[in-house]
Amino acid sequence: MDVWLRALTFSAGYNTSLVTLGAMLLGASAGMIGSFILLRKRSLVSDAISHATLPGLMLAFIVMAALFDNGRWLPGLMIGAGLSAAFGLWGVQNISERTRLGEDAAIGAVLSTLFGLGVVLITAIQAMNTGGQAGLTDYLVGSTAGMLSGEAQLIGVCALVLLIAIFMLRRQFLLVCFDAEYATTNGIPVQRIDTLMLMLLLAVTVIGLKVTGLILIVALTIIPPVTGRFWTDRPLQMVAIAAICGVLAGYLGVTLSSVRTGLPTGPLIVLSTFALFALSLLISPRRGIIAMLVAHYRFKTRVHLRQGLLAMARREAIYDTLTLRVLRRHDFIRRDHVPTPAGLAAARDAEHEEQLWSLYRSLYPDEAAHLDHLGLEPISDCLPPDMMMLLELRLHSPLRSAS
Amino acid sequence: MKASRIEDPVIAESPLAIHGLTVSYGQKPVIYSVDFVIPPGSLSAIVGPNGAGKSTLLKAALGIKRRLSGEVLVYGEPYAKQSHHVAYVPQRSSVDWDFPATVLDVVVMGLFRDLRWWQLTRRRHRDKAMECLSRVGMESFAKRQIGQLSGGQQQRVFLARALAQSADLTILDEPFAGVDAATEKAIVEVLKALKQQGKTLLCVHHDLSTVRDYFDHVLLLNVRRIAAGPVDDMFTEATLQETYGGRLSPLQIERIVAPSSATQEA
Repeated sequence: MDVWLRALTFSAGYNTSLVTLGAMLLGASAGMIGSFILLRKRSLVSDAISHATLPGLMLAFIVMAALFDNGRWLPGLMIGAGLSAAFGLWGVQNISERTRLGEDAAIGAVLSTLFGLGVVLITAIQAMNTGGQAGLTDYLVGSTAGMLSGEAQLIGVCALVLLIAIFMLRRQFLLVCFDAEYATTNGIPVQRIDTLMLMLLLAVTVIGLKVTGLILIVALTIIPPVTGRFWTDRPLQMVAIAAICGVLAGYLGVTLSSVRTGLPTGPLIVLSTFALFALSLLISPRRGIIAMLVAHYRFKTRVHLRQGLLAMARREAIYDTLTLRVLRRHDFIRRDHVPTPAGLAAARDAEHEEQLWSLYRSLYPDEAAHLDHLGLEPISDCLPPDMMMLLELRLHSPLRSAS
Repeated sequence: MKASRIEDPVIAESPLAIHGLTVSYGQKPVIYSVDFVIPPGSLSAIVGPNGAGKSTLLKAALGIKRRLSGEVLVYGEPYAKQSHHVAYVPQRSSVDWDFPATVLDVVVMGLFRDLRWWQLTRRRHRDKAMECLSRVGMESFAKRQIGQLSGGQQQRVFLARALAQSADLTILDEPFAGVDAATEKAIVEVLKALKQQGKTLLCVHHDLSTVRDYFDHVLLLNVRRIAAGPVDDMFTEATLQETYGGRLSPLQIERIVAPSSATQEA
């Protein structure tokens, strides 16, 4: 606990602090680019990219081990991983463009093939007569424990550069995600922007290799954006919240992994993002489970209130206990179920609303179906003023509407 | 030859001049060698049966669909250089309405072109967007999530986004498809107001009975150009029958071609 506290407060040594900062920056850029990828509906592509890094990573190790006797130089490994991921991406693009296979099928094919190749290469490396093979598993699940400060700096600086690049491109990304055709008419080169988006995703994946491991980086590009979606209905806010989630996850994951030697960083980061996701799922004010339950209860009482008021307007007897309770709570009926003056006024209003809604429904059935609710909202909140005028006019002069 | 066409004053002043435009899916032409010159300040309709290539013509002109041949000039220059003169209102079905965005967010998108990357969207941008929203009667919906809008409201939001671009030419793809009567009226009013300001408008339009009321120019299209010009001259029984392959009944034709005073709102 004490170790964790020191790590959390950045007082566990220069190296750990540096690594933590690097992971936080990585989390931010992964969350941001992941949000755009999610909005572009291509989240699966990040899975393909991460798996496709493996053979390049291993080949880079083999080449460097043969040439310099040390295969574990991080920049070299990143370049190898990046090249093979780019190759995988190119393969996916080509298969989905030139054949009848969809992108999902292409991703499946490329992902498994390249990952298989990578695993074969691992086996080959383990039979090799060179040092440093043991450290290679770090790239599968991530390990920050033995990270050199140079490596941490590299990760941090690269993540910062990506962060700035994503920020610069945010509006182009947003337009392309929302409506690529409209973006074209705004002079945006959609294909180039799409490619840039994937390149940035690829860069994040490669930078994250040593921190989360090549497979689990996917979690960092998908879960924070989904978490962000719980908290907002606005696109760039979602991106910002995803970035914050990524930062928190990186921070928690790295500090937790420093508690005991051998704790893998990647899985801890992923579990941290999941914890944030689960928390949001539960308590998000708009889409969270608790909020939905409350909203459902409120909705139910509103239905009962409206039904009760309409029954009052039609002078029908009310038997439903919930309806009676709701009406009583609003002081619309007395204890002996006789309507109060306020209740009668509310009943008249409800009846008027109901008439407007039913008129709207009969005049514009398609439109009304699209609004899909039971007409419980005040109709003037749902329709523009000009439409309200039209409805009121028709309601008060039925003769004119018949002509 | 190319130079001579651009020197032609009619082409040089036209907000959109299409020449020999052909688009095909595989080997099948969707539109074939279409010529169409829009006069400045006109309110034009593209009319034709389903599958006539109306939307494809727009998309090819806007650079969304790749064209097999032909050229598209905006004020005498290639469209690619002049795209800032043109605003586009796509069909409602072209986007995912569950996208996390408010009505205001969508309208502000119309201003992205003027914003450099270091600039944040400021009050004056939001004010401009709100002004555009009020022109389509949607200002009270600014904070609404776009998924909660009805079809007509979605269409109004798209129109507001195009208004925010303050373009000289606005191209609309079926703006009246599946919208309520109030929205149709509101949109027509906005279009006519734009025309009053000297702006040019081009709509793909599917309702033959309102062509005479709403538009002054028309292109009758069925893969090929059947006729193009002022509505009064070109929107006749003969051209309509040719466009629709004789599928319109005499009664329909009579209602469509009749002077606008005879048509009534349902």
